[in-house]
Amino acid sequence: MLKKIKYFFKGFMGSFKARSTEFIEFEERELENIFAVLLMGSFIGIPSPPTTLLMRIMPHMVREIYVMQRRAVDMDDMIGEMAGLMDIE
Amino acid sequence: MRNYLKPQKKFRVIFFIGKGGVGKTTTSAAVASYLASEGYKTLIVSLDPAHNLGDAFIMQLGDRPEEISKNLFAMELDMEKVIKSYLHHLEDSMKYMYRYLTVINLEKYFEVLSYSPGIEEYATLEAIRDILKEGDRWDIIVFDTPPTGLTLRVLALPEIAKIWSEKLIDIRRRILDKRLTIEKIQGERKFVIEGKEYKLPSREEEDEVLKELINYKMEVEEVLKTITSDERTSVVAVMNPEMLALYETERAKESLIKFNIPLNLIVINKVINLDVNIPQLKVKMNTQREVLKEISQKFKNIDMIRIPMYEKEPRGFERLKELGKLIVEVG
Repeated sequence: MLKKIKYFFKGFMGSFKARSTEFIEFEERELENIFAVLLMGSFIGIPSPPTTLLMRIMPHMVREIYVMQRRAVDMDDMIGEMAGLMDIE
Repeated sequence: MRNYLKPQKKFRVIFFIGKGGVGKTTTSAAVASYLASEGYKTLIVSLDPAHNLGDAFIMQLGDRPEEISKNLFAMELDMEKVIKSYLHHLEDSMKYMYRYLTVINLEKYFEVLSYSPGIEEYATLEAIRDILKEGDRWDIIVFDTPPTGLTLRVLALPEIAKIWSEKLIDIRRRILDKRLTIEKIQGERKFVIEGKEYKLPSREEEDEVLKELINYKMEVEEVLKTITSDERTSVVAVMNPEMLALYETERAKESLIKFNIPLNLIVINKVINLDVNIPQLKVKMNTQREVLKEISQKFKNIDMIRIPMYEKEPRGFERLKELGKLIVEVG
């Protein structure tokens, strides 16, 4: 019984925590996206930073490039994402 | 001896700039030869992709410094090799990290990267940086540069690169700040991709990207500090007594002022001096006289020296040394 209550609270707190960072996570993803887009700008025609600098940081950019890609895929459903964030079902 | 050609604080860097074909290579080789014969350990580097430094010394040069005469070291930079080795290194690390990326066809991206605009300038800058990093091995480093346009763009790069790295560092810090906030609430976060798990870096000291950015910024600043210091760097502009060369030198001077790089000496090369009167050359001589007059008006505060047109091209160490003496010594 006690275990169940413990689980319940853990789940409750977990969801609470997740909700509390939702906005910051959104902001984080946006920043990561911008960072990656700035670096890969030559693909979409905006000036790139020094090629040598790019070469040095690209190997560590797995996450940011992934986020950028997801962002590009979800681009057609921006309203959906905003609605989700604002709790509009 | 002209003071700005001698080392003062640490080593001295001398750039020779000018329009194509005015005699940059010969002039720079001459100055380097003379400085070496005066006991300064001198390195001369050709940055021009169309190398002809070896031709001036009448010998084959490699892409590492070679001692070709006492105290005189020379090398021709192999730009293609530099670019290739960068791309090779990058391709290996990227292929491993980005296996999941199929949308952006990275392999194709690498194939064209070596032709992307600006890469040659950046590779040149990188090469200059590498040489300056080991600059303490020499007293004087002489750079024979490609024609003005490319050189000016290369010299502008450190400033641009600095601005880029500063902006990116700023965004990166904001990302890490957000990550840290989330981590404090959620606990350590993992990022899983293709079954591989990465810890999401949230602190400055564990983030490789920020580390690279900061290192890059520091390196660029070091180059910037060296080339904008008049105790460390001098620029010698080489030109012919012709209108077009004059205009280009004027523009170069303006750009150099903008980048805070000191321009110290103008070498007017291939000046025709004739004692006899040859009617066919009269027009040319008149233009030359006019240009020379204009040059002395336009570049009032800059040292100037006229080098006569020689019957025979000055080539080989001994002849270059003599010519160098004419340029380096005052009066």
